[in-house]
Amino acid sequence: MHEIALRILLAAGDPPKTIAERATEALPTDPLFAIALIGGAMVGVLTFLTLLGLVLIYAERKISARFQCRLGPMRVGPHGLLQTVADTLKLLCKEDIVPTRADQAMHLLAPFLSLGATVLVLLVVPYSPLLHVADMNIGVLYVTAISGFGVMGILLGGWSSNNKWALLGAMRSGAQIISYEISATLALLVVVLFAGTMSLRGIVESQEAGWWIWRAHGVGIVSFIVYLIASTAEINRTPFDIPEGESELTAGFHAEYSGLRFSFFFLAEFINMFVVAALTSTLFLGGWMPFHVGNFTAFNQVMDLLPGGGWFFLKVSGIIFLLMWFRWTFPRLRVDQLMRLEWKILLPIGFVNLLVASFVVLYNFYLFPGNN
Amino acid sequence: MSNVDFTDVRLSQQSIAGQTVPVALVPRIRTQNYFAQVPSAFKSLWKGMKLTMWYFLHPSTIVTKQYPENRATLKFPERYRANLQLNQDDNGYYMCNGCKACERACPNASIIVKTRKGAVTGKNELDAYVWRMDSCTFCNACVMACPSDALRMGHEFECAVYDRRLLIYTLNRHAGPTGDQVAKLDEETRKQVVLEKRGPYDGPVPLAGEAYPNIRPIVLPGQATEQEDKV
Repeated sequence: MHEIALRILLAAGDPPKTIAERATEALPTDPLFAIALIGGAMVGVLTFLTLLGLVLIYAERKISARFQCRLGPMRVGPHGLLQTVADTLKLLCKEDIVPTRADQAMHLLAPFLSLGATVLVLLVVPYSPLLHVADMNIGVLYVTAISGFGVMGILLGGWSSNNKWALLGAMRSGAQIISYEISATLALLVVVLFAGTMSLRGIVESQEAGWWIWRAHGVGIVSFIVYLIASTAEINRTPFDIPEGESELTAGFHAEYSGLRFSFFFLAEFINMFVVAALTSTLFLGGWMPFHVGNFTAFNQVMDLLPGGGWFFLKVSGIIFLLMWFRWTFPRLRVDQLMRLEWKILLPIGFVNLLVASFVVLYNFYLFPGNN
Repeated sequence: MSNVDFTDVRLSQQSIAGQTVPVALVPRIRTQNYFAQVPSAFKSLWKGMKLTMWYFLHPSTIVTKQYPENRATLKFPERYRANLQLNQDDNGYYMCNGCKACERACPNASIIVKTRKGAVTGKNELDAYVWRMDSCTFCNACVMACPSDALRMGHEFECAVYDRRLLIYTLNRHAGPTGDQVAKLDEETRKQVVLEKRGPYDGPVPLAGEAYPNIRPIVLPGQATEQEDKV
């Protein structure tokens, strides 16, 4: 066991490789080590998922409390630290109720689809130069496709519950996610154009001279904002939470879910928030790249003191806090306002932005031109 | 609503169903053009976000109380309404003169004011002020209706009892010595005794109404003999 841990540390050489690459290299000579790497990555991602869910739910409750002049959970553990653990245990112990007329198989499948899509995205996110499970040359396409796959879980869950509120919620969710997917993808395409690659690692490495959000004279900022709005809508968070609008649809698509299955939907919702934050920081804020300014060597060296993982963590926490700030400030949109925002405002802006971005790329008109 | 100019509201007459009715004409909401609405949307969103961030950064605005722990240092908002109380004047007499304005103002008949003819003055005076907390909605209508400021809403909220009948209070119950006994005391002691605040119940509130005088305990069918033994 020690030997394997030591070899994982040693294998993190220069240039850093993903866990999948290391496993591929080790496969012909040492299949056991390759299996250990992949197994470790799987267990690691699942553990990370669970812990992240606990932390995010606790953070959400505490931060929302502070926004609303409340204290939030205070009883279980110091400052309510163990509250989410207690809630999770309660959810696990609850009776799993399935409606009599529900489609049993689909009702069971839906939460797994929803959570599965999220886990699959977590695999390709570059957490730090050393910690990256798998990289693929079509990373952005993969992420877009998989997050579209998550809608299937929501639609199936609403459909199979045999409940009108659940069905309405699922249909709203479908309409919303499919609409906003277009804007999100257009915003991602801008970064793909800049970086000239779809691989997430490639995109991070292309931002060594400066992050894409400000390297392209405002184009990056516009696509950052468009992506943030569109992805907030995609993960069904307020102000775009009409699929589960409590005042209108009881709980929306998961109205008929309880116990473990509900907790899967709930977990997927929170992990999706992390995924959006991770992708935003990877694509627009340089992922694990430290904050560098042109040729200010001393400044850049100070910034390098924090390792890549720390930078990634800071950026992701910032975006997550921003999403929570949105949630506890803005009121929910109506369905027609939602559609108007996407089709009449975000989509034209996205297209124009893409056009401008292509000119920026064509004439190599970047700030901090750097290597590319 | 900043898009509506309310100073431009005009009164007009309109004929509705054959009748002439006065109508207020409010100007329509100014519609912004397509390009102006994006920055104005961001402006208004930022306004809201600034406000919530102000609350986030100011923990002093937190209103939640950690109740059982801070029971000793509990502070109530000025207008907190828990239990109805009768005000006393400087001599310790109740200021209520039995005018029954509160009884008439009470929306659900939670107040019964019993009056009697005063033995000396011959005027109406308060005999018993009965307040039914079990039906009271704490709407404050009685306090607002009182012409002589004789009522107030107190802050005693721990009123849970196991017997509903214990929620019927006689607010002017004087649990101290009777008037003729007070009269025999010397000046200083008398002032003290008279000014002493007395609640509707003196001492701890009994649970399940068991030990309270004049109130029969609830007797459940199975417990009949056991309860009678205690009494």
